[in-house]
Amino acid sequence: MEVITQNAVYFVVALAILVILFVWAYVTKRMQKDFSTMTWVLIPVAIAINLTIGQIVLVLKLPVYLDSIGTVLVGVICGPWAGALTGALSNIIAGMILDPGWFPWFPVAAAIGATAGVMANVGYFKNWWKVVVTGFVIALVATIVGTPISIIVFGGLSASGSSLITAFLLETGRSLLAAVLTTNFIAEPLDKIATSLLAFAIIDGLSARYLSRFPRGENAAVEKGQQQIQMIIALVVVVLLILFGIFVLPSITGG
Amino acid sequence: MNLDRSFFVPARSFLHSLNPLTKLTLVFAMIALAFFSFPWMAPVLILPVFVMGFIGKVQKQYSNVIAKLILPTVGFMFVMQSLFLPDGKTIIFTFIIFDVSLETVRTAFLTVSRIFVMISSFTLLLLTTHPSELMSDLTRRGLPGQFAYVIISTLQILPQMQAKAQTIIAAQRSRGLDTQSSFGKRIGALVPLVGPLVFGSLVEVEERAIAIEARGFTSTRVKTSLHEIPDSGLDKILRWGLILLIIASIVSRVLVT
Repeated sequence: MEVITQNAVYFVVALAILVILFVWAYVTKRMQKDFSTMTWVLIPVAIAINLTIGQIVLVLKLPVYLDSIGTVLVGVICGPWAGALTGALSNIIAGMILDPGWFPWFPVAAAIGATAGVMANVGYFKNWWKVVVTGFVIALVATIVGTPISIIVFGGLSASGSSLITAFLLETGRSLLAAVLTTNFIAEPLDKIATSLLAFAIIDGLSARYLSRFPRGENAAVEKGQQQIQMIIALVVVVLLILFGIFVLPSITGG
Repeated sequence: MNLDRSFFVPARSFLHSLNPLTKLTLVFAMIALAFFSFPWMAPVLILPVFVMGFIGKVQKQYSNVIAKLILPTVGFMFVMQSLFLPDGKTIIFTFIIFDVSLETVRTAFLTVSRIFVMISSFTLLLLTTHPSELMSDLTRRGLPGQFAYVIISTLQILPQMQAKAQTIIAAQRSRGLDTQSSFGKRIGALVPLVGPLVFGSLVEVEERAIAIEARGFTSTRVKTSLHEIPDSGLDKILRWGLILLIIASIVSRVLVT
């Protein structure tokens, strides 16, 4: 029972922080800034992009989902609140037409959109290596939000392929939390970095005139520089982040 | 993956005649009972869910969804969890090297029945309520009209975009794009497939924004609706009853433990 009370406390604290953020953004009109008519029209298109690209990836049989490109796109050019709404509604619509099992994951999708928006606001969506960092941060947030849902709603092991990794880790004697957290951390970064890079490629291809019609089009102004040097920096950053994950994560989870 | 499938089945039944909000409250009540109430509640709820399928006259489609979507997921989860979850003392049997214990089977059964109840109640809501009916009822009760626009227009755009994606895949293949061989080639194929699809649909955004702006999209006046959705006294009583049920399920659990 102690575990349940402790979890309930975490849940209430998280909820309180969210409510405060919500009220703050509403009172200071930061939230309203995200939602112009262009944003409201872009959101359905972005959701359709999410679900349709998921389908193309299935045709190509790639080991990623890429089902949040539209969410990241809206987060970057319209702002974090619009991104969060796109993510949440994307999962709700997928639940309506594909499989109701998508519903419980909507906080993860919302967190992905919000993180993309915040990272773009601080200028981390302007060239290749920064986008890679953003992708990694998105993966980290998705892991943190997704792990409790995975454990509380689905008991930690679901019918997905990555559950085999969780099962393996559990057999090696790790706790359920450590096993699920590690699995998500292994599975997420590749997908989210690829998602961010594709969203960046899309933004790069849009004209400045078109982008300027969105509330935060300036977030996506691409910095011109030496492409080759940027690619090298991007690779170094990825390697560093993976090393960080391998060495730091086990000590946090105590696994 | 077929995107233009909506779950809704038109029929005349008690569930169909209920107000959409009442059914939504029912779904949340079922989830609250399954997840927050006593552990024996979730398995018990499976029976009422089945009965509701018959009341709504959608038992055929509902059992179809169970067989195709819910049972494979839930069955696989049950096996995985019974085999791999730690903390077992009373071992029932050993499968190769994995111990299956009474405790893990019990936990797995609880999780699986919770998920069954959750997904089933959502499925029943979607089988007996058309998305646009649900959205217009919620809009009438004060949900900003923009939300209804997003949901309904996504449901309209999706089949178009899916068709466009099929056309692009076929067109690029006929130009010789390799979508089946090595891993590197398949990654390379992603950009020529995603690019035309995304840019093509983003171009339309601007025109559509002007079009809906001209039709008073951002107007704050109260909009009238052509389609009236019934909301009877029975609906109101049911809703309040269900809300009390949700509160009671949480309070009783807190008081007992």
